[in-house]
Amino acid sequence: MARAVELTDDLLQDQLNRLGEGHFLILSWCTLCEDKTVKYNITNCFDDLKSAGITRTKQTAVSFVETLWALCFVDIRDERNRKNIYITPHGAKALAHLVKSNRYKLKSSSYLEDLKS
Amino acid sequence: MKVIGIGGAGGKIAAKMDSQNAILVNVSETELEKVVGGGEHIVAPVQSTAGQFRGSRKDPTIGHDAYNTIRRRMQDIIGGAIVFSSTGGGTGNGITTGILEDIIAHDDALESSNGIPINEKTMFCLVLPDDELESNYVENSIDFMSKPLATAIDKGSTGNIMLFSNKLKFEDQIGEDAYNQMIADSLNVFMSIPDKNTSFKLMELHIDHEDFMAYTAKPYFNHFCYFDYDPGKDFGSQLTANWNKLLLPPEEPIEAMFLLEVPAGQDHTIFYKILPFFEKKKVNPIYSVVENPSLQRPFITVSLLYSRKPLELIDEFNKVNQEVKDVKVSKSLDQHVVLEKLNVDMNKEAKRASKEKGLDADELLQALKRIKKL
Repeated sequence: MARAVELTDDLLQDQLNRLGEGHFLILSWCTLCEDKTVKYNITNCFDDLKSAGITRTKQTAVSFVETLWALCFVDIRDERNRKNIYITPHGAKALAHLVKSNRYKLKSSSYLEDLKS
Repeated sequence: MKVIGIGGAGGKIAAKMDSQNAILVNVSETELEKVVGGGEHIVAPVQSTAGQFRGSRKDPTIGHDAYNTIRRRMQDIIGGAIVFSSTGGGTGNGITTGILEDIIAHDDALESSNGIPINEKTMFCLVLPDDELESNYVENSIDFMSKPLATAIDKGSTGNIMLFSNKLKFEDQIGEDAYNQMIADSLNVFMSIPDKNTSFKLMELHIDHEDFMAYTAKPYFNHFCYFDYDPGKDFGSQLTANWNKLLLPPEEPIEAMFLLEVPAGQDHTIFYKILPFFEKKKVNPIYSVVENPSLQRPFITVSLLYSRKPLELIDEFNKVNQEVKDVKVSKSLDQHVVLEKLNVDMNKEAKRASKEKGLDADELLQALKRIKKL
């Protein structure tokens, strides 16, 4: 079991309260991809959100990612003409808290599953 | 008169008719041994190792094939005999078909000398299945009546044919043995007409053995019945009320015979009240009146010969057969279950299962630690 994450910052607490399922899933998927040393870009993110039934438009997917970037929960790096997403230490803290709160259910990434098979 | 019983049902009735001398024919010795009474046993071997013990299994072709092995023996004994057989099973139907075919061929061969002589004509007592409760036997009966029996009637090669029905057996819930005894007893009443003419005091006319033989040699269906005759009532309505329930009801009579037995000392001229009934039907009956001292009331035995084509009977059987088939088809359609073939792609199923299962929270937290973000 991971060690307990204590939140002392009220701002972070308020930010977490405003995150939706889409944000949560993006944080989890980009974490898993990074763990597997797989690049995870906005297009992969859109496909996964679509597959999970969260959204059907790329604009929404982009806005989820941009929000997470604005909150410093993810970094977006231009790599070989792709905008790849990486979780930040703040994002990691936020994700760990969300996971423990059981507010949302984790879902697998279709992109990562396809790569596995 | 020689009594021959073909198959299971025919054999049992024949043994009731003549418990000492009835000739019993079957495809299986085991089946023959089940019959109580009777005389000679004729086994028609079936060309199968199991056949001698298994009977015809309701398949008339087995009975018909088996007949070929005893054909010569049957040709020797069939003339002048009375044959009992059922039409619904395999042995009775199959062997009787063979017998009828041979009788027709024999009659054709003797055409130049007026066909089979009267004393050589064969009477048939056929047991028909109950059309509703024995529908599984109806199909064989339809084949039998539409082919060999119809041809025999058209050619006029046989003697009287009596169509017994199993209907009463089911309606009154009578055991097989008791029902067979009823058929034998009933037939004995009719067959005793010439003997009664010999043994009782003749009051009016005479039906001797020769007259009776000539009558039973006619190729018609015979419906006979008997009842206490009340001269004060209309004969026609008494007759209709007393149809023999063991037999199929008759059609319009072509020929008729009756024997009136009156108690000793009673007016025997009551028979004149019967004659107008037949006059209306344009039938001249053969009849006689005897005095039977053991009777309290007048007793009459009537026989009507009619030529209702079996095809009309077949229509009724066909109707029932069709109804049963329709119900069977409808039931099987109702119970038809489509089994869908599932093309399972194990990879896709595994993905779906893992997607449904979701991810483990601990696994995610461990990942965060591994990438050193937490």
